[in-house]
Amino acid sequence: MGGYARFLWPAYGVTALAVVLNIIWARGLLRRAKSEARRRIAMQGETR
Amino acid sequence: MSDRLTPPLTAARLVVSRDLLLAFRRPEQLVHPLAFFVMVTTLFPLSVSPERAQLRAIAPGVLWVAALLAALLALDFLFRDDAQDGTLEQYALSGQSLTWLLLGKTAAHWLLTGLPLSLMAPLMGYTLGVPMSAGAGIMVTVALGSLALSFIGSIGAALTLGVRRGGVLLSILILPLAVPILIFGSRATELAIRGETYLAPMELLASVVVLSFTLAPLAAAAAVRISLE
Amino acid sequence: MTWTWFHRLGSPPYIYRLAGILTPWFGWLAGVLLVGALYDGLVIAPPDYQQGDGFRIMYVHVPTAWLSLMIYTWMAVAAAVGLIWRIKVAHAVAAACAPIGASFTAVALLTGMLFGKPMWGTYWVWDPRLTSELLLLFLYLGYMGLRSSFDDLQRADRASAVLAIVGVVNVPIVHFSVVWWNSLHQGSSLSLTGKDTIATPMLIPLLLSMLGFTLYFVAVLLVRLRGEVLRRERAASWVAEVVAT
Repeated sequence: MGGYARFLWPAYGVTALAVVLNIIWARGLLRRAKSEARRRIAMQGETR
Repeated sequence: MSDRLTPPLTAARLVVSRDLLLAFRRPEQLVHPLAFFVMVTTLFPLSVSPERAQLRAIAPGVLWVAALLAALLALDFLFRDDAQDGTLEQYALSGQSLTWLLLGKTAAHWLLTGLPLSLMAPLMGYTLGVPMSAGAGIMVTVALGSLALSFIGSIGAALTLGVRRGGVLLSILILPLAVPILIFGSRATELAIRGETYLAPMELLASVVVLSFTLAPLAAAAAVRISLE
Repeated sequence: MTWTWFHRLGSPPYIYRLAGILTPWFGWLAGVLLVGALYDGLVIAPPDYQQGDGFRIMYVHVPTAWLSLMIYTWMAVAAAVGLIWRIKVAHAVAAACAPIGASFTAVALLTGMLFGKPMWGTYWVWDPRLTSELLLLFLYLGYMGLRSSFDDLQRADRASAVLAIVGVVNVPIVHFSVVWWNSLHQGSSLSLTGKDTIATPMLIPLLLSMLGFTLYFVAVLLVRLRGEVLRRERAASWVAEVVAT
């Protein structure tokens, strides 16, 4: 890659990292929101 | 009793005189930002270099950073008292244009904080090796810049009303928006110090000022209403 | 006819289901495009005449910088819609945008630095475009910080909406900074009119990459959006059916 390898790969690497981390973060958020909602509904069910 | 509403400009003027009157009953509050400005400015000769030539080179930047920090500190009391005693709520419910009332409040706040800062700035400039001949230029540029800062800062102050440690958050929110003021202002001050004409950056600064005092009270009013909900 | 569609978009259960259906489409399409762009950009496309293989950083720098601006714009528009018409789903969109936008602004800055060092000998320079892009990152972080300082989600939505709208002035500043000021940063690589400033074999991976990243953003946004919608609709009955799965 010419002399640019030591700049190219970190650049692509940090981009790939951001791509992957965003996916993980988003799915984590959804999962947490779902379990929060389940917990609340369960609590509501108990008070009835 | 007339059931027509007081014209908004009159209402704004009344707010200004009220705020000025209240402020002079507690003058210590006004001294803090000034003292902070003086102290921060003096940190630079102590930490960087006491050499006049070097100080003079960094003087515009130092003055502006110190003024910005002092202004951020001062924004703390823009809404604090009125929010606590319910006056702000009364303003929102009064049927008057909240935008105009906040315009008045922010203008009063600048008279109490930004204006003294701009009067102090040439003195601090002198301690940084700037000749007193540049004093007028420094005063004018810092006065304009601090005016814009007060208005933009009012948006942040309104957004962080009642938030714990809101002062730090306010600074973080306002800083990106204050950067153009910092850039144009310090450029104008630098030219003024060198005795050159500082018309160009002043015009940019003036346009930022006009934009901020026309649009910022609108945003601040929206933010105040949200905070009071 | 169009208004019914618009109203349905404001309905949380509808959006939740729609987002769930659309996500895999956007996701897989983005994946294909990004892999294709990766291969094209790194293997097929020729090195630049002046910038050699260093030019290949553009295939990630340009799309991420584009994303950083586009996402903020969407965030501000959604915030404004939510603020003016009091639509919770719009606030959910804005909230979902912010972390994605912030991370890609950081990537744009980092990839830009990695491009700048071999090209111009410096990682950073305080020119208008880089400075305003950095400010954009601070605006994103301030937005997220403001949100997290409120316990009440509704107040968080509305206060941060004001901030997002006020901060949107920075977006045209970033974009036009290379036009308005003499900047170290190069002018636009893509032009819609006039002669292209970039050769076609190098343009293709760039376009693939831009499209791929945009579809990727939509996919991630849709996932976050579902989470944000759930957080704002805790008490509603449709939630019970949906989360039982």
